[in-house]
Amino acid sequence: MSTSKCDDQVTLDHWYAIAPIAEIEGAGIQQTTLLEQPIAYARNSARDVVVWTHEGVPGDVPDRNCLPVRERYGYVWTTLGAPEHDVFPIPEYAEADRRNIHAATFGVNVSAPRVIENFLDMGHFPFVHTDILGAEPHTEVKEYFVEVSEDPDEIVASNCKFWQPMAAAASTGGADVDYIYRVPHPYCSVLYKSSPLDESRKDVIAIFVQPLSQEQVRAHMLLSLLDDTNNDTDIRLFQQTIFGQDKPILENQYPKRLPLDPRAETPIRADKSAIAYRRWLSEKGITYGVIPSAA
Amino acid sequence: MMSDLQSNWYPIASSSDLPRRHVYQTQLLGREFAVWRADDGYVNVWENRCLHRGVRLSIGINNGTDLKCQYHGWRYANRTAGCTYIPAHPADAPARTICNNTYPAQEAHGLVWAGETAVGAVPELPGFEDATVLRAIPLNAPMDLAARMLLGYSWEDGCKGQANADGSVTVTAADGTAVRVFLQPMDSNHSVMRGLINRPASGKERAALLRRHSWLMQELRDRIESRAAAQDAPAPYQPVIAKVSDDLVDIPALGAAALRAELRVQVARRELTAEGIVSLRLEPVTGKLPTFQPGAHIDVHLPNGQVRQYSITNGPGETGHYTIGVKREPDGRGGSIAIHDTVQEGDVLAISAPRNNFPLRRDSTHTIFVAGGIGVTPLISMARAMNAQGLSFEFHYFVQSDDHVAFRQHLGEFERALVIHKGLSPDATGATLKEVLAEPGFARHVYICGPGRMLEAARDIAAAQGWTDETVHFEYFANTVEVDDSTAFEIDLARSALTLQVPAGKTILEVLRDNGIDIPSSCEQGACGTCRCGVIKGDVIHQDVCLTNAEKAEGKSIITCVSRAASERLILDI
Amino acid sequence: MLKLYDYELSGNCYKVRLLLSFLAIPYEQEMIDFYPGKQHKSPEFRQINPLGQLPVIDDNGLVLRDAQALLVYLASKYDESGKWYPRDNPDLLGQISQWLAFADAITGTASAARLHDALFYAHIDVVKARAAAHELFRTLDEHLFFAEEGGQDWICPGDHPTIADIACFPYIILSEEGGIARIDYPAIRRWCDRFKRIPGFVVMSGVFPAGPAADDRAKVAVPGQ
Ligand code: FES
Ligand SMILES: [Fe+2]
Repeated sequence: MSTSKCDDQVTLDHWYAIAPIAEIEGAGIQQTTLLEQPIAYARNSARDVVVWTHEGVPGDVPDRNCLPVRERYGYVWTTLGAPEHDVFPIPEYAEADRRNIHAATFGVNVSAPRVIENFLDMGHFPFVHTDILGAEPHTEVKEYFVEVSEDPDEIVASNCKFWQPMAAAASTGGADVDYIYRVPHPYCSVLYKSSPLDESRKDVIAIFVQPLSQEQVRAHMLLSLLDDTNNDTDIRLFQQTIFGQDKPILENQYPKRLPLDPRAETPIRADKSAIAYRRWLSEKGITYGVIPSAA
Repeated sequence: MMSDLQSNWYPIASSSDLPRRHVYQTQLLGREFAVWRADDGYVNVWENRCLHRGVRLSIGINNGTDLKCQYHGWRYANRTAGCTYIPAHPADAPARTICNNTYPAQEAHGLVWAGETAVGAVPELPGFEDATVLRAIPLNAPMDLAARMLLGYSWEDGCKGQANADGSVTVTAADGTAVRVFLQPMDSNHSVMRGLINRPASGKERAALLRRHSWLMQELRDRIESRAAAQDAPAPYQPVIAKVSDDLVDIPALGAAALRAELRVQVARRELTAEGIVSLRLEPVTGKLPTFQPGAHIDVHLPNGQVRQYSITNGPGETGHYTIGVKREPDGRGGSIAIHDTVQEGDVLAISAPRNNFPLRRDSTHTIFVAGGIGVTPLISMARAMNAQGLSFEFHYFVQSDDHVAFRQHLGEFERALVIHKGLSPDATGATLKEVLAEPGFARHVYICGPGRMLEAARDIAAAQGWTDETVHFEYFANTVEVDDSTAFEIDLARSALTLQVPAGKTILEVLRDNGIDIPSSCEQGACGTCRCGVIKGDVIHQDVCLTNAEKAEGKSIITCVSRAASERLILDI
Repeated sequence: MLKLYDYELSGNCYKVRLLLSFLAIPYEQEMIDFYPGKQHKSPEFRQINPLGQLPVIDDNGLVLRDAQALLVYLASKYDESGKWYPRDNPDLLGQISQWLAFADAITGTASAARLHDALFYAHIDVVKARAAAHELFRTLDEHLFFAEEGGQDWICPGDHPTIADIACFPYIILSEEGGIARIDYPAIRRWCDRFKRIPGFVVMSGVFPAGPAADDRAKVAVPGQ
């Protein structure tokens, strides 16, 4: 693995979630890595979140030369470049009756785009999330729509349906569950899933991937639910179980970086959203965490 | 240098590393392999990367006849490594070209040998005919360093090491006992020492021998590793990641691809499997046969010049041959008679690669198979696949009499699901079908194959009892519709911007061919569906038996070998 | 009813769940928010286990901690066959204890590397942990190779697995999450397959089940039923 830092300007010019805000309280100076750059974060004496780069020793909380900071969706976001836009919107987060829960921050030995592609994928439910998000023999991925919009610059996969054994806590048998996926950021995705409680609204699950290096990431997972029965622990553990099942798959993908050449792997109709995603990354000119297609 | 290394044979496993239903993981020159033994004993050496999304196949499941990827459940066949099933699209037959990368492999001297581009036989090892395979010892060091230090390997005073031309090392003791050690280069700094000792051993003696050498070689390993740690590690090998074939780049559209390549097969066995039905076991003259899926058929080019379609009856993983069943049809067009009367064991026939217009869904909670007479052949292959996978089904076989029951040995595999209905009149058949098809339901499917009249009866009964078009699957052996070719009309080819005239007495398919436009076909009588093409505009007179009623009503497809335009003009999507 | 203080992603908790499932003992789970809640370090939980560790069981008032101790207790008390922990066979008990200690060493290395990679336990020297785990795996691979040679499927002699197999399995099968590949340990990989085929085996998040063994009969529906 190369130890040189990221020189992909497109990737640098994005916001990245680096830690849940709740974990900063009272914890002193903490360290992490973003795109191979060691960074530290803490609250300063004015109670503001401060993020700064360092080369091995974080030192004291500086009062100058800090990185830009945003606090969004319960996480601290920062950037090493100059993003053109603010952090993308998730309007549902602000709805008063939602429960916003930080489910986990997990390290995974894989590239960031492989994590996103897995997040968009329904075909693996019966095989990887057996008896939770799917069950054999109900394996079909039905036709769905994929749109790439320019303003906002994002991919939307809609009308996605998948048969699930226990669609909701109250259901006695399986049923099709509806999903909508958004990819508003090369390494973040937001999923809307039909809510068992309110037909007109959807539960939101978001994944914010922080690339540590080209082949290692931290995945931050946010839940914004209408659920008012389960406690936070149960909801978190459920999400952790799901992600824990994806982890060995992700860590057994070869190559670890996402190949953008259309001839590197074999897509099927169910992979429409992944095809759009790979093309979108190519068009953006992203080179970090991917194997660019030899033009 | 690298290419030299790649053309060598290397031992990559002991035979005992490959028990049934296990997937062994190893590496050669930087490339990982998933290695698995099928229930028939065949050793598959595949690149350790599912062609779909790159997941290691070594975390997949060896089902004995195929390997199932852990991520999306794709199944790859024994021997051919071709994909036979994609669960996300259960109604489709996967493209024939989805095939994992395989590598030459041979099993000899108790070892499995492989090489990226090795050809010919694995090395002969004179003096090691009755050898014992020692426990393999992996080590973190380059192969060359290990080979050099192995020269000093010793289990008693007077051992002498000697380097062999093939890179292995032979160490001989004064009493003639010899150990030959081969090096497997996993990567540039990671190798395996695989030793053979030139005598057989069993029982306690064997255990003692293996332990002693395991211990001594581990001692040597520690010394080699500390030497390797003191020097700079060489850069890892960069194996080339082969690209998939061009036609897999785009999402495959529905429909079959042209298959022209002809295969040569030899009739290895010819048997009378039932009254008036011969089975032919066809084995490749050279090389391997392409992957088939349950429901697939092949074109057989007969000695009399005719071409006929026959379904493959094989079970999953039976990839070394195709077995077909042929019924003698005295009133037929002569193809079956040619086979019955002239084809003998040892004859060589030309066949097409398998083509599947009758794919088997495996996302059903229960499947009902309805076979009539020789129509049993594709359904046998399907039922064998379902059985191997433990899926729920029942199998109804309508025959004239006991003597007409074909392929008994295969039916025996799923005896509990089998009901044979003997000698029923058409009315009694109808009544039985009514019972059999009494219960449509969520994720239940029916597959029907048999003579035209029975097939139609079954379809009508199914429809009357509430089975939807999407749940009733059928394949006709012959088109019983009286084809009318007396009309004349015009066709526009949307993609090639051509306009052609179809006169009376000619089919659309023939006109296309006359104008140099090749579209695949097989039965050419409106039964198999291979020559199907899209209709953009115009009305169709459907004269085929392969489209469903819904598809016919929709008017978006046409079977070009029999069907014609109802309007003056048809715009086709070619 | 027996109560298990549990966390899904913990290999040590998984050891207990495995044995409970093999023995078909009904139990109740108390889910602990190990991460990110650190509930096992809370004052309330420290009253149950002052060490602040999982798993813990409460068997009708008897509160016990430590995965290996729980395996010994549960097998001794509830395994009527006496095969998982043969109380009257001192030779075997000695061997089982030896491998339970080995399992602890695996936890100290392979599990530590996993915590480092997945949950960012910064104090762990991951390079050292991985190297030490490889040393242990080399030892176990050789042991299992010769066990197989002698017709023995399990870590300890006899034709039945013991709690030594259960204690070793979780952090071996999860080792790749800590960057510890098992490509060099073919005998361990075969043993993992055999272990997954023990009747009553259950998975945890991150562990996949094995396919059917060669002699498993496929199930076929009987028409009319
Ligand atoms: S990666 Fe193997 S089936 Fe999808
Ligand atoms: Fe998943």
